[in-house]
Amino acid sequence: MSISVRGVTKDFGRFQALKRVDLEIPAGQLVALLGPSGSGKTTLLRIIAGLEFADSGTVEFDGKDITDQTARERHVGFVFQHYALFRHMTVFENIAFGLRVRPRSVRPSKQKIREKVNELLRLIQLQNQAGRYPSQLSGGQRQRVALARALAVEPSVLLLDEPFGALDAKVRQELRHWLRRLHDEVHITSVFVTHDQEEALELADLVAVMNEGRIEQVGSPDEVYNRPGSSFVYNFLGNVNLFHGRIENGKAYINDTPTGNLVLVRPHSLAISRQPNGSGNHFRATTKHINAAGPLVKIEAVTDWGAPVHVELSHECFSALQLVKDETVFIIPRDVAVFQAKDPDHI
Amino acid sequence: MSSSALPRIGIAPGIRATSKATSEPAFVRRLLIGIALLFLALFLFLPLGVVFYTALGDGVRIYLQTFRDPDTVSAIRLTLLAAGIAVPLNMVFGVAAAWAIGKFEFVGKSLLITLIDLPFSVSPVVSGLIYVLLFGLQGSLGPWLIAHNIRVIFAVPGIVLATIFVTFPFVARELLPMVQAQGNDEEEAALTLGASGWQTFFRVTLPNVKWALIYGVILCNARAMGEFGAVSVVSGHIRGLTDTMPLHIEVLYNDYRFTAAFAVASLLALLALMTLVVKSAVEWKSQQPAKRAASDGEMSA
Repeated sequence: MSISVRGVTKDFGRFQALKRVDLEIPAGQLVALLGPSGSGKTTLLRIIAGLEFADSGTVEFDGKDITDQTARERHVGFVFQHYALFRHMTVFENIAFGLRVRPRSVRPSKQKIREKVNELLRLIQLQNQAGRYPSQLSGGQRQRVALARALAVEPSVLLLDEPFGALDAKVRQELRHWLRRLHDEVHITSVFVTHDQEEALELADLVAVMNEGRIEQVGSPDEVYNRPGSSFVYNFLGNVNLFHGRIENGKAYINDTPTGNLVLVRPHSLAISRQPNGSGNHFRATTKHINAAGPLVKIEAVTDWGAPVHVELSHECFSALQLVKDETVFIIPRDVAVFQAKDPDHI
Repeated sequence: MSSSALPRIGIAPGIRATSKATSEPAFVRRLLIGIALLFLALFLFLPLGVVFYTALGDGVRIYLQTFRDPDTVSAIRLTLLAAGIAVPLNMVFGVAAAWAIGKFEFVGKSLLITLIDLPFSVSPVVSGLIYVLLFGLQGSLGPWLIAHNIRVIFAVPGIVLATIFVTFPFVARELLPMVQAQGNDEEEAALTLGASGWQTFFRVTLPNVKWALIYGVILCNARAMGEFGAVSVVSGHIRGLTDTMPLHIEVLYNDYRFTAAFAVASLLALLALMTLVVKSAVEWKSQQPAKRAASDGEMSA
């Protein structure tokens, strides 16, 4: 089922959580709402779910206006950040809840419910925990139960609020892959909220980057990462070096005056050389700190005009150069992004 | 001193070290426990013993005979009636109030919280007087009630009203912290799963506060049956008609019918003991899942 959000605004007292947000979510896609805390992503998700109501604007499922429908009528599966499992019910009862509360006329038989729940328990690999209470499960297990509970009612849309936020790194990674596989099997339109860019880029078909109640850019992970639409997106989706500068004849000139344009370069798009190259496309800097632990060598340097620069080199390049601390080198940008510096506060 | 204490913490397990550090010499402990026990014996067990001793002093036959006296039977009946009306009403009110305050934001919320506590802070005699002033002959509603031949004061309705008033806060007060601590997440989950408001309430909200509710009802019931002050003011002490058990005890005592007075008192004392037993059972029971979960959580973690 496709989801259309049109011109949605939401205020909480004097705080504007959403400012005329438009978003199209195609059917069957796994979409990430990515943004820093306070960017309005959870509010948008709750408005799609019907747990919150927009002050203005509309929400449509498959072209049908459902703005005034309650969460109960919208038939969505919602997975809460802290799981919100029913603590007085066993895992089995939690998953069966959505089927058991149906009106008698559409309620499956006890036998059917049992089969359905057992099927979901197999899916989340918790067959042996059916009789346990949520407090007896680990965080990852609780999250899987919450997912199974949401899927039991066969929702038209699956919404997940920071689904892996409360888990440790290892479990988070496992669950991420598991969710991706699950989505590839079930093909239910899914939207998840996250502040973790790595999670969004790795998991989603489509990423909507949000900032201060607005959607900055929507696109595939490749698009938002490699062709960011704004300096905010560029900055939020990875480490970045920020310079001030100006554009002349299609060339970017960087300097230390905070006017004109913003020039952004990712640390791995910088090369280091001991000789100036012929084109003049370089600047001088002094290395200050070298960290060779990890897949890339991280070098901190300072430009002639005193701005810090982060460079990431492969171990091969690094050992070929034999760089040491406090050495003056030339830094060559290979790939830069230039934005209007209309709103330097965003950076 | 601190330098010698530091390495010792490293060697001794933390818990043992703190319990040793905070414990007192044996004689101090025995002295304190002794004083506490003596105090309890003198002020709690002795009076309770006297009640039963005096009640049964003339033999079981005389004791049982008390409960064949029509006035006593009427007092017991009236007490059961008042509690039977007040407790369910206050249960419904308490749940509704706790739910409204705990789950929603609205204007006048803090005023409502204050009002719920009012019966606790006002003397029961004043509570009774409020009803006399309201429904009594000189009261604002009195003439109208007389004209329509409705008797509230010095009649059963007044007693029920006064009982409701003084037992107002028990259920709400017990539930409120629970409801507030639990938040709205589970209700929202139930909603997205298609549950109606009533289904959410009966299947999610209520089971989550079950033990607090039972606890509140027990306390509410104990107070409803034992209330003296407020009921005394509105009752008018008409024997066989408007005397509840506590009032009847006073009447019997003033008539020098000590055995009968203590026999009825023993009934109330029994109720108190039963309440304590049930209360302990509920407390024990409500802590079981938490304990089980805590120990299991440690194991799985």
